[in-house]
Order: sequence, then C-alpha cells, then structure tokens
Amino acid sequence: MTNEMKLNTTVSEQKLKAPKKRRGSASLDKRKARSGYFFVLPFLVGFIAIYLPMIWDSIVYSFSHVTIVAGEGSVTEFVGWENYNEALFVNPDFIKTLVTGIKELAFDIPAIILFSLFMAVLLNQKMAGRAAFRAILFVPVIISTGLMESIASQNIMDDMGEEGIADGTEVSTASEIVSAIDIENLFAGMKVGTELVEYVVTMINNIYDIVNRSGVQMLIFLAGLQSISPAIYESCSIDGATGWETFWKITFPMISPMILVNAVYTIIDSFTTDQNTVMRFIDGIYTTTNGKEISSAMSWMYFLIVILIVAAVAGIASAFVFYQKKD
Amino acid sequence: MNAQQTGSPQITKETKNKIRVEFERTPLKERLKAKFINMAFVGGVIWYIVRFVLLLGISYIVLYPFFTQIAGSFMGRNDFVDVTVMLIPKDFSLDMYKFILLENQYFSAFGNTLLLSGSTALIQTFICCLIAYGLAKFKFKGSGLVFMAVIFTMVVPHQTIQYSMFMNFRYFDIFGIIKFLSGNATVGEIGFLNDILANINIFGAEPTSKFLKAVVEDGAFNLNNSYWPLIILSLTGLGFKNGLYVFMLRQFFMGVPNELEESAYIDGSGVGRTFLQIILPLSVPMMITVFLFAFSWQWTDDFYTTLFFTTNKTVLMPDVVDIPRSLETQYAGQNLYYSAIRNTCGLLIILPLVIMYLFCQNFLVQGIERSGLTAD
Repeated sequence: MTNEMKLNTTVSEQKLKAPKKRRGSASLDKRKARSGYFFVLPFLVGFIAIYLPMIWDSIVYSFSHVTIVAGEGSVTEFVGWENYNEALFVNPDFIKTLVTGIKELAFDIPAIILFSLFMAVLLNQKMAGRAAFRAILFVPVIISTGLMESIASQNIMDDMGEEGIADGTEVSTASEIVSAIDIENLFAGMKVGTELVEYVVTMINNIYDIVNRSGVQMLIFLAGLQSISPAIYESCSIDGATGWETFWKITFPMISPMILVNAVYTIIDSFTTDQNTVMRFIDGIYTTTNGKEISSAMSWMYFLIVILIVAAVAGIASAFVFYQKKD
Repeated sequence: MNAQQTGSPQITKETKNKIRVEFERTPLKERLKAKFINMAFVGGVIWYIVRFVLLLGISYIVLYPFFTQIAGSFMGRNDFVDVTVMLIPKDFSLDMYKFILLENQYFSAFGNTLLLSGSTALIQTFICCLIAYGLAKFKFKGSGLVFMAVIFTMVVPHQTIQYSMFMNFRYFDIFGIIKFLSGNATVGEIGFLNDILANINIFGAEPTSKFLKAVVEDGAFNLNNSYWPLIILSLTGLGFKNGLYVFMLRQFFMGVPNELEESAYIDGSGVGRTFLQIILPLSVPMMITVFLFAFSWQWTDDFYTTLFFTTNKTVLMPDVVDIPRSLETQYAGQNLYYSAIRNTCGLLIILPLVIMYLFCQNFLVQGIERSGLTAD
C-alpha cells in the first residue's frame, strides 16, 4: 500500500512539475532554433563587422579619390560620378573589354556545362579504371588554380619544336588540334550555320581550358547522378527503354536542378577568375594612378551586369527545371 | 529487395529441369552465337571502346602539359635550341631544380605557405561546417537571409573589394574601437597591450614595439604583411570560395537524417555535443574534401598573398616563381628556357599538392557522392 501511495505521489508530482517547466522556458523547437544563431555566429559577426564595411568602403571608393597620409590614415575625397565617367567614357578599352568578356561568357557556359555533364555521365558508369579516370579528371580542380594559371598563361613549352614559336611571340595555327577547314568539310553536307561550325571549332581548340574549368561542375553533376534512385532506371529497362531514351527521359530531367546550379556557378566562377578578360583588364587598371578607385567603379559596374545575367539565366532556367516531388 | 524476393514467381523443379535440358541440347556454337552475335552485345562492346578511348584522350589532354613540363624541367640549356628534341632531353641536367631550390628561397616559402595554408584550411573547414550545419538544420528567424548573405559573398568577385580589403587590414579597426581605446595615448600608456600583442608575432606581424608605434600613429592596427588578414577572413567564413564550401556542406548536412540528432537529443546530449560527436565524425569524407579544396586553393593562391604581403619579408609561394640568378642567360632559346624554368617552379610548388591529392582523392569522390547534392 505504502509503496503504491509513494509511486502515486511521485507520478503526480512529476505531472505537476512538467507543465510548469514548459511554461517557464521556450519550447524545444524554439530553443533549438535559437542555438542555430550560435552556429552561424562567426559568419554573422564577420559579415557585419568586416564584410559589409568593406563592401560599403568599396562603393565609397568608387565615388572618390583616396590619398594615404601618414599619421592620419587615409583621406577620401568625394568626387561624385567622376570615376564612373572615367571608366565609361574616358577609358577607350573598358566597354570593348566588357563586351568581349560577356561574349566569352556566353561561349563558356554552354561549353563547360555540356562537357561536364557528358563527363559526369561517363564517369558514373561502371567500367575498368573508373577510379583512375576520375582521379585524373579532378586533378585540374586541385592544381590548376591561381598561381598555376598565371604560370600556364606564360607557358610556351607546349608549342616547342614547332616553327615560329621559338621567340614565343606568335602562336602558330599548327598547334590547334583541329583546323576549321576540317570541320567545315565535315559539316558541308549538313545545313548548319557557320556560327555553329565556328563554335564547335573553338570549343575543340579550347578543350584544355574547358576541361580545366569544369572540375567542380563535374563533381556537382556526379553527386546529382548518384542521388537518382536506381529503381527508376530498373523500371525503365524493364519497360524496354534504350540508353538514349533513359538519358533524355530520366537522367536529364532529374539532373536539371544541377544544370541550374552549375550554370550559376559557372557564371560566377568564370567571371571572378583571374584569367577572365575583364578581370585582367581591371587588374591592370588597379596599378595605375588613381586606378584603385577607377577599378572599384569598373568592377561594380561589371558586378551589376553579371548579377543581371545570373538572375536572367536562373529565371529562364528555373522555368524548365524539374523537381522531383518529395513526400 | 525484400519485395522482389517474396514477389518473384516460384520456380518449380520441373521448369528448372526443362531449362537445363534445353540448354544441354543446343550445341556450344549456337549458344555462343546467341550470346555474342546480337545488337546489344556488339553495341555494348563498341560503346565500351568508344568510352575508353574518349576518356583516355581527355585524360591525355589533362596530363599532357604536365608531361611537357616534367620533360622540360630536366633539359639543359642546349636542348631549347635543338629542333630534334621533343620530350626526351639530350642534354640532361638537374640545374633548374638545384638553383630554384637553392636560390628562390623555396624551403622558407614552403614552410611559410604550409603554416598559412594549413591554418587557414583547418579554420575554414571547421567554421564552414559550423555555418553550414546552422543553416541546414535550424530554422531560425532570418536563416534564409543569412544563406543569401553567404551566396552574396560567393558572388561578389574579390577584385571588386580588393582595395577596400587592403585598406581595411592596413588600418584594421572594427567600428573605431581601437582608436577609441588608444586615443592620444603614447606607447607607454598602452603598454598593457604588450602581452596580448606579443602573441601576434607568431603569425608574422611587425615586432611589438614597432607595431605599437604604428598603432599609435595610425590609430589602427596594420595587419598587412602578416597572416592575420587571412586568418580573420577564415575565422569569419569569408575566405576564398568559402561560400562554395558552405553551400556544399549545407547540402551534405541536409541529407543527414534528422532521426540521428533526435535520438542524440533524447539521450540527453546538447546541440553542441551532438554536432561534435555525432555529425562531425559522419562528415569526415566531406570535410576532407573541403580541406583539400581550401588547402590547395590557398597554396596556389596569388591574389590574397600578393595583396596582403607587400614586402618581401614573408616569402610565400608566388615569390618562388622567378628566374634564379645563376640561370640568367642571353641566347636564342632564352624565352623557351625561361618558360621551362617557370614551369619547373610550378612543378615544385604543386608537388606537395599532388602527393596530398594521391592520398585524398578517394575521399574527394566519396565525399561528393555522399553529399547527395540537391538544388532545392
């Protein structure tokens, strides 16, 4: 009896205590949500204390002249739109470079995405030596960046032994893998425009560049391919679909979100890389007198243009992207 | 799997026997014909060959520059004017390696860069894990905004803010706190900072007394020519391509089932402990991937290093790329020769990365595959 009584009292006490506690503090979800702030705290602090002031400074610099005075720090003098004016109307090359840069971008994005998707599909299939091929194809991701890119851009070793290269001033057409004439002959029978032929020729001749820059995209596509359930492929093959049909009806729609991600990533990556025409131009301006402010103004204009391009691409692509419904 | 096993039709003994009898009655020739001479098999073989050749070709494109660079690095001076020399050197010499190692301060650059890349990569990996986990698993007010901010840092090219970044760390002073603290003080008055600042020398800042004098003169720290700018950027998840790492890790953490954490919470572990003891061990392949990226991209970085290190006091990898004095010459093959020397510098720079990659490349693919990246 006594035991039972004790048990009853303890239970009732617990019952009484529990709701009181809950009323006192926030619910579990809320408490958990609050600890989310703890995780992003380093970023928040850095973003507010370092990054936003830097962005603000950069915008201010683009509107002013800066002189460094020892003892007083830097003196900024507001000059209005002068730097932008200088960049757009005084500098003869900026707009020209901008147009070429955007043209390059229009060429690069489809080329890199097509190539990386193709390679990812290949590397996803089971075959002998897959691990080795993967390892080799991801080498550029790790190695061909920054410093190595700038070394490679000065490299004339690849053309060694060919005529007209010894002085390193001109690039002979013999070093191109395929000549335009061959491709034109190939396409002569088909009725395709010269632009397409030219595009294919440039793509093949830039293959090294494209391979080098599509490493991360390949990884993202591979991850996407891995996440497609094998059951779908199995049911497809039971229904008698060929590999070609399976690719267009299953793989392509399932991978389409990745195409969007990669398109955005490629745009961002190729316009922030040091090898980009516009970026190199802006870098060159940076070292001239008053160049720091003008280069700020230029890069902000460039940034705005690219943001617009990213938004447009993302907007158009997202209309065609297929999302698998999750239940 | 289970459904298949139970749902598949039962194969009786009789049908099995029938099949066997039929199989034994058909001659071997017929059987081989049926197996090998059909569209599926031939198509498969052709596809196999085409695929293999294609991959071999692309691998060749990737590796060919390295072949020429390695071949060039063993060539002597005469090989660069000899038209018959293609890849195999006739005038074999190790001069390039010898003089780059001896005269370009390779070893001190190696040590400094190892310290810099190692520390920033470790910090970046951990901090990006924190941020990504916070963004993936907690729905707090403004989490969407924070994620947008992360993407924003990824989208803004670093050239856009390079000057303000330089100025920010040249006169490092968050919200004017240091100016307020030091005021018009003299070196003696703010000597209490000595103990704290003495530690800064670990990462190569100015000697303390000189440093303090500069602080008083400018009313701010001059963090340039030290490792601090990069470490501060890493600590706050603003380093090179950290937006990408956060994005990748966030996708990975979103794929980790919630049940794991819930069971940890039920067992009484807090949020921090769950993260450290349950989530982090799970994500080792992904973390190695991020570390590999962070380390090697910092290792070969020439943007931040040339921006923040304006004097030659701290020798880093970009300083190695130079023509050693003993190899300076004037002859017909000069351009090619110098190009080969620069390439050899590049080879020496990436050598540690290649060794690291050989050990880690398995994790790279694994980590990415397990990340289950999805775009929503």
